[in-house]
Amino acid sequence: MHAVGVLEAGLCKYVLISYGHSARSGGEMEWMLSNLVGDDVVFGHFGAVAGYALAARRAMHEFHTGPETWKAIALGQRKWAALNPRALMRDKPMDERDYDLSPLVVEPFRQADACLVTDGGRACILTTAERARDLPHRPVTIMGMGMANPSSDLAPARHLAGPTGAVRACEDALRMADISLEDVDACQIYDCFTYTVEITLQDYGFFKPGEGRDWFQGGTIEPGGRMPVNTSGGQLSEAYQMGMTPLTEGVMQLMGRCGDRQLGPATGNKPPEIILCSDNGGILQSHACYILKKG
Amino acid sequence: MTTRAKPVPRMSADTQAFWEGCRNREFRIQSCKDCGCLRMPWSFLCPECLSRNAGWIRASGRGTVYSYVVYHVAYDPAFAHDLPYIVALVTLEEGPRFLTNIVDCSPASVVCDMPVEIVWDDVTETLILPRFRPAEHT
Repeated sequence: MHAVGVLEAGLCKYVLISYGHSARSGGEMEWMLSNLVGDDVVFGHFGAVAGYALAARRAMHEFHTGPETWKAIALGQRKWAALNPRALMRDKPMDERDYDLSPLVVEPFRQADACLVTDGGRACILTTAERARDLPHRPVTIMGMGMANPSSDLAPARHLAGPTGAVRACEDALRMADISLEDVDACQIYDCFTYTVEITLQDYGFFKPGEGRDWFQGGTIEPGGRMPVNTSGGQLSEAYQMGMTPLTEGVMQLMGRCGDRQLGPATGNKPPEIILCSDNGGILQSHACYILKKG
Repeated sequence: MTTRAKPVPRMSADTQAFWEGCRNREFRIQSCKDCGCLRMPWSFLCPECLSRNAGWIRASGRGTVYSYVVYHVAYDPAFAHDLPYIVALVTLEEGPRFLTNIVDCSPASVVCDMPVEIVWDDVTETLILPRFRPAEHT
C-alpha cells in the first residue's frame, strides 16, 4: 500500500519490495519473537506461537474448530511443497499420522501447525500500469486492496476469535476490484500458523464460522482442489519470508513462472486469472488483503 | 531447580504503580478520572476520551478464563522446570483482560469461561506476581 502511495504521488518510478533474513542460521527470529511481549515474559509468555495459540483456543471454544481442521491445512500445503524445488519441506511428505505425532509446542498447536524458520530473501518490483506496458514481461496488476487494524495489543483485543481485520480488508479489496469471491481462482494466505489460514478464509467469507472443517476436507486447497491455497507450500512448508511468501507466489503464479506447481492442466486446476492474497501482523491485529490479476 | 533467573518486570513510569500494588497484594486497574473507563495495559492517555487524568482502582481479583494455552516448550530455559505450564488471558470481573498464569489446576481441566480467582505468588522478596486459580465455590 505504501508502494502504491509513493507511485501514485509521483515520488518514484519503481519500488523494490524486498526482504531477507538469516532467521534459521542466525537465531534472530527467536529473539524477535520473544521481545514482542514486554512484561508478559514474567509469566513465561513469549510471543507469536502462544499469542496465536490463545486466539486459536478461543476459536475452539466459540466455533467448531481444532486440530482436525488444521491438519487438512498442514497436509494440503505440504503437498504443494512437494512440487516446489525451493521448499524447505519438499522431500518431507506429511500424512495424518505424522501430524498427529508432531510434538506439542504451545497447546493447542503442534510443531506442524507452525511456520518454518528460514534463511532467504524475496523481492518484487512495483510500478505504474502505464510504465509496465513498456516492460518486456507481461505484468501482474493489483485490482484491489484493503487494510484493517482492529487492535494494538493482545489483552485488549476484544474479538480474539474473530471477526478479525480480515473482514473489512477483504470487503474493501473486493469492492475496489469490483469482483466477488466466486471470481477468485486461488489464494495465497499469510500462514504463520495453520489456524491463521482458517480464520482468514473464514473472515473473507469462503465459509461460515466453524464450517472450515468441512470446507477443507477432500483436498479443497491441494493440487487439483477447487480452491488452491498457498501453492508454494506457504510459510508452513516452503519458507517464512514475512508477507513476501504470499505476495511473490501470487505474482509468480499469474506470470506463469511456477514450474511443476504452476496452476493449470499439470496440477488439475484452472489456469489462474485472479489470485487473492493476504498479509497479517501482530496477533491477528493488523490485516492486509490484495487481489492480483494476470496481465 | 532454576539455574537461571526468570525475567522480572521492567518498571516504567506507566507500570510502576501496578507492580507496587502487587507488592502489597493489591491488584490495580488504571481508571480514567474523567470518563470512568477502566484500562489495561497501562497508558498515559485514556483510549476512550484521551484524558490524561488517571487513577487506580483495586480490583476484586475475580474473573473468568477468556483463553488459555499450555506451554510444552521453554522459550527461556528459566521456565524449563515449570513445563507444562498454563498461560491465560483472564477477563477480570471489572472488564479488562490480563495475561497471567493459571495455577493449582492441571492443564487438562482448564476450560474457557471458567471462574478463577487471584493467588499471590511470592517469587522473590521484592516480586509478588498475580496468578489465578480455579475459583473455590464452583
